[in-house]
Amino acid sequence: MTDATTPEFPDFETMTQADFEHVLPAMFENSPNGKVSSDPRLQKFLAKNPDCAALVRDLEIIAEQARSLFNVEEEPGDDLWGKIRGQMDADRDPKTK
Amino acid sequence: MSTQGVQMIEAKPNSGLFKRNPPIAGEAEAIEAAKNGDPEAFSKLYSLHKRRVYTLCLRMLGNVSEAEDMTQEAFLHLFRKLGSFRGESAFSTWLHRLTVNLVLMHLRKKGLNLVSLEETINPSDDDAPKRDFGSRDPILAGSVDRVALERAVASLPPGYRMVFVLHDVEGFEHNEIATMLECSTGNSKSQLHKARLKLRELLRQPGQTPQQAGLKEVTT
Repeated sequence: MTDATTPEFPDFETMTQADFEHVLPAMFENSPNGKVSSDPRLQKFLAKNPDCAALVRDLEIIAEQARSLFNVEEEPGDDLWGKIRGQMDADRDPKTK
Repeated sequence: MSTQGVQMIEAKPNSGLFKRNPPIAGEAEAIEAAKNGDPEAFSKLYSLHKRRVYTLCLRMLGNVSEAEDMTQEAFLHLFRKLGSFRGESAFSTWLHRLTVNLVLMHLRKKGLNLVSLEETINPSDDDAPKRDFGSRDPILAGSVDRVALERAVASLPPGYRMVFVLHDVEGFEHNEIATMLECSTGNSKSQLHKARLKLRELLRQPGQTPQQAGLKEVTT
């Protein structure tokens, strides 16, 4: 997906770390499954810039782990339903408020 | 807290959220019975959805007490507005949107009201992620402990946390987030990237207690 906020990609052969930092959000946005590290255009650059490679890897791990949080659910306190029920009863019968 | 004026943003049939919220067996019957005032049916809806709603509130707010208050508000709002549910999207998607909108309204009332959220949710310079690449050591080493990530998310500045939770955890698209937060799509993308950078920074602080790392509240 591109829009007015998507920067133009630089020449991947001559890209600097600053260029990379600038386009990285768009690369994540445009990459399938958020896997920037497997983008063939970036392989040489990442091999030459291990700090950038580590950054990409870490951001991918964070995004991947975040997706798995969707299925992790927390339990509210046991007394919460009682509070809701009390308020519902008050809604039904305003005299009890 | 008044819940009037909450605007529901309709879920698109092809949104990631819809795909991740399939209908639940027995839910449709419970919805219809609850619409007709059956308290046991509403109790069933609460049992089916309390964890999703509470977890969403907890992640968006980073605070157990506020999360319980907002869960209560969400179900009371549901009780009052259930009649307006037409089944055009999955019920869980509808309830999810309702909850997100309530939490956002709550945050605006805490200090973000009447001002563009885009401006006010931006963190201070102190909270912003450092603009360096850090050590090349892949200290996240292929995985992130879930509890550590939850704690780090809870410690993010509200604007970062909101976009991160809505996009990376809940699966909303940037254009949907932009509508909800009343900001531009570009701002949503930028906030997400900064949130991930900030999380990396927080998770790269080995040996620190959550307090030393600036983590405010444990969410589990």
